[in-house]
Amino acid sequence: MALAQAERTAPATPAEKPSAGARRGRPRVLPYLLIAPTILGMAYLLLYPLIRNLIISFQKFGIAQLIRGGADFVGIDNYQAIFTDNKFWAVVGRTFAFTAINVVLIMVLATLVALLIDALGKWMRFLVMGGLVLAWAIPVLAATTVFQWLFQSQLGVVNWVLVQLGFTQFEGYAWFADGTSTFAIIVIMIVWQSVPFAALTLYAAITTVPKEIYESASMDGAGPIRMFGLITFPILRPMFGLILCLEVIWVFKSFVQIWVISQGGPGDATLTLPVYAYQIAQSLNRYDLGAAISMVTVLLLTVVLLAYFRQLFKEEGEL
Amino acid sequence: MKFRSLAVAAVAALSLTAIAACGSGDKNEASSGPKTIDVWLMKGSVSDDFLKRFTDDFAAKHTDVKLNVQIQEWNGIGAKIIGALASKDAPDVIEVGNTQVAQYSASGGVRDLTDKKSDLQGDDWIEGLAGPGKYEGKQFGIPYYAANRVVVYRKDLFAAAGVKTPPKTREEWLAATAKLNTGGNQGIYLPGQNFYVLSGFIWDEGGDLAVQDGDKWKGALGSPEALKGVEFYKQIQALGKGPKDSDEAKPTQTDVFAQGKVAQMIAVPGAAELIVQANPALKDKLGFFPIPGKTADKPGAVFTGGSDLIVPEASDAPDAAYTFIKELAGEKWQVDLAKSMKYVPNRKALASQVTGDEGTTAMSAGAANGKATPNSPNWAAVEAKNPIKEYLTKVLTGGDPAAAAAAADAIITEALNSGK
Amino acid sequence: MKPKRIVLNLIALGVFAFAVFPVYWMILTAFKPTKDIQAETPSFFPTNITFSHFSTAIHADGFWLFWRNSAFVAISGVLLALIVACLAAYSVARLKWKGRQAFIVMVFVAQMTPWEALLIPMYVISRDTDMLDKLPMLTLIYFMMTLPFTIVTLRGFLNAIPPDLEEAAQVDGCNQFQAFRRIVFPLLAPGLLSTSLFGFITAWNEFAFANLLIIKEQNQRTLPVWLSSFSNTFGTDWGATMAAATLFMLPVLLIFLVLQGRVTSGVAAGAVKG
Repeated sequence: MALAQAERTAPATPAEKPSAGARRGRPRVLPYLLIAPTILGMAYLLLYPLIRNLIISFQKFGIAQLIRGGADFVGIDNYQAIFTDNKFWAVVGRTFAFTAINVVLIMVLATLVALLIDALGKWMRFLVMGGLVLAWAIPVLAATTVFQWLFQSQLGVVNWVLVQLGFTQFEGYAWFADGTSTFAIIVIMIVWQSVPFAALTLYAAITTVPKEIYESASMDGAGPIRMFGLITFPILRPMFGLILCLEVIWVFKSFVQIWVISQGGPGDATLTLPVYAYQIAQSLNRYDLGAAISMVTVLLLTVVLLAYFRQLFKEEGEL
Repeated sequence: MKFRSLAVAAVAALSLTAIAACGSGDKNEASSGPKTIDVWLMKGSVSDDFLKRFTDDFAAKHTDVKLNVQIQEWNGIGAKIIGALASKDAPDVIEVGNTQVAQYSASGGVRDLTDKKSDLQGDDWIEGLAGPGKYEGKQFGIPYYAANRVVVYRKDLFAAAGVKTPPKTREEWLAATAKLNTGGNQGIYLPGQNFYVLSGFIWDEGGDLAVQDGDKWKGALGSPEALKGVEFYKQIQALGKGPKDSDEAKPTQTDVFAQGKVAQMIAVPGAAELIVQANPALKDKLGFFPIPGKTADKPGAVFTGGSDLIVPEASDAPDAAYTFIKELAGEKWQVDLAKSMKYVPNRKALASQVTGDEGTTAMSAGAANGKATPNSPNWAAVEAKNPIKEYLTKVLTGGDPAAAAAAADAIITEALNSGK
Repeated sequence: MKPKRIVLNLIALGVFAFAVFPVYWMILTAFKPTKDIQAETPSFFPTNITFSHFSTAIHADGFWLFWRNSAFVAISGVLLALIVACLAAYSVARLKWKGRQAFIVMVFVAQMTPWEALLIPMYVISRDTDMLDKLPMLTLIYFMMTLPFTIVTLRGFLNAIPPDLEEAAQVDGCNQFQAFRRIVFPLLAPGLLSTSLFGFITAWNEFAFANLLIIKEQNQRTLPVWLSSFSNTFGTDWGATMAAATLFMLPVLLIFLVLQGRVTSGVAAGAVKG
């Protein structure tokens, strides 16, 4: 592609002498012109607020400062406060556990479902894909509302089904009163909402693998598991990488689901970093501590994904 | 072709943006016409009927001020009010819970109304509202109304169950409620997280939510008295189907009551108005009695709740805002409000005008034993992430009260002592 | 062969049921009379159908107004993102320039922004530029929320279109822009549509900013904010709540059914050929 580009622009320059300067300049300016709106947008709507956030994290910034302005700088006091707080480290640990559990479940289930779709006949495939699309399309807020309704202690259908199955201890059971069960419900909901995207995308990728490769492999006597390990996975590795990376980002950041269902509770059972930052800022009005926590969140997420970004940078360089 | 249609759509979107940007600026143009003021009242503070009567009368009297009343939800209101106080174009009057005025006043976003005090006969204000409305000697909050909780009950269900007189002691109360809790009816609807009710039970036992030792606060849910209070909460809560993991706002308890399957609930008497609004068939079937105490001679302790009105510094029409406050906090509408919403009016002298009502009588009987939450400006922070609610849920779902209390106490202690 | 097929189909049915049940239950509840919703034994099929919950939801104060506001911010935000992303994606996919790598990584990094962290700075910025209480501010924020993903996906679609086509057009005398408009754009249009879907969902769903930045002008509120006050608005009325959730989901579902296949293949193309 790079070669084609060079060939395309090179002959044009000597042909038109009068406007040569402008012409020669254009191909070099054009790419930057095209990304200018993106850069400007990001600078004002992303970088600038992020810098403001960084500044707040080094200030004493509560309600009074928000209303009257004039916040004082306090150095690294806020960071010191959160780093010396055991609760913060518990939240960090929980966030990683939460992300790991969700992402592993999502990746495994999505791969299985994608392989399943590939193996199905036309009508069943249509049905399953239709079902996945339905689960995917439901807006997060609507989904959280529905899950609250499903797990209601009084008229919720889950309790009813469990009681019918003979588990009478679930009569009027309050799911959202217990830390573990609330955590589990949130995991189920996030997995339920995330699998469709991952599965459908993986399926679309699987269909791009030429069938002949499988055929020759199956003639060599390879079973389905070996075929996945030997062929599908290696070929689709960049795809798995991308989806893994997106899911890590999305799950790590998930906020609305947790906030609407449990606000981080009961106790701290579902308190993850984004929820913690929001809680401290919005409920306790410690905007400074909230800012510090969110800056640490960004940093942690970057570290987690650093390997992927380096890989990405290298791959882009090879093009 | 397709590109063109996309471009057209984009231009349309951008021009919409421009139109929307113009649309919200109309308030400032109206310098010649009537001034519009925005007022935030809380959900449940006035009924639709009262609001209509008040606004009609106000419109007739003050043609130079146009009222725009918005009803706000309690849930998440703190962040919203702070957002409004910090903005350049805030609402002109905001109703604020009495325990929270200090926090906002201290932040500097609220107008000092000390000079209006005599105009509003402020020397006669009831202390439960005027006191919390003050910060460093200045009056920021204008008393609006007060109320405390009573038991709202269904007279017909009580009669059907053979309960002749409202219970006066805890034992009678438990016995009566157990009798009522049959045949698809709930003896009492008490959500698991009503911490004001718990506070009352704890005060009855001689305990408190937090105690002050020198200048240090300490959460006190773990004291033997407080543990006895929660034990009683558990007993009475079990005589109905109140959700163990939710408070009185979720679902709205007056709506639950209005469905007709609940014999009692604990609420301010004004809740009766909202019940009847939702289910007119219950109009003459509602009665009230003070929350029973440990002995018949003294009703149960109650939290004195209520609201003040504040004017944000960022209001661009403070005079019109005051016109509004003077009407709503004035004699005519205070008496009307007290009668129709069953509140305690903001001035002691007005109390005599609203006697004779069953709800208000029960309320003032209870008010004799009125109490307040710990008197610290940081108390608002405790309520914001209320550890007492989770504590209640833990105890009601079978957790160990002492251990749960210790965990909640740690949070309360930290919040009250943090140097904010 | 046969038994294996049957087992596969059974598993498939299980997956289908698991995926669909919550949505089914939501819609079913929305159509059930309140009496049936509160029945001790829930019915799993629509026996009595009522539209009263939908009418409750639709006639709730301001429903249509909020619906319109949501549609406005979502559509305008997404359109803006599409236009800007189209330019950037073309630059990345078709032109060779210094800093290209860094730009792509930057776009990727931008995707991880924890937006809730920016609430307070965004509030302060909006206040200082007189953009509080204004829907266009939400449009701008939703534009930026969706932009990184839109660029990544559009680039995937562009990579899937062979550059030879444009080159041929340029040989025929088209300039670069004309070649893009006449050749690439028609091929890219389906990709544009499906990419817009993601943006639309993000914007349609967004709650925190809509809640904080629209303070006084209540008729500038959006649906999610209204939806969150559900339990307060409708009390224990799960029927109306589910009806409102269904109405909230409807536009997303419609667009999805039309566009779904293209989204996944676009992402696949982007990653495999990236």
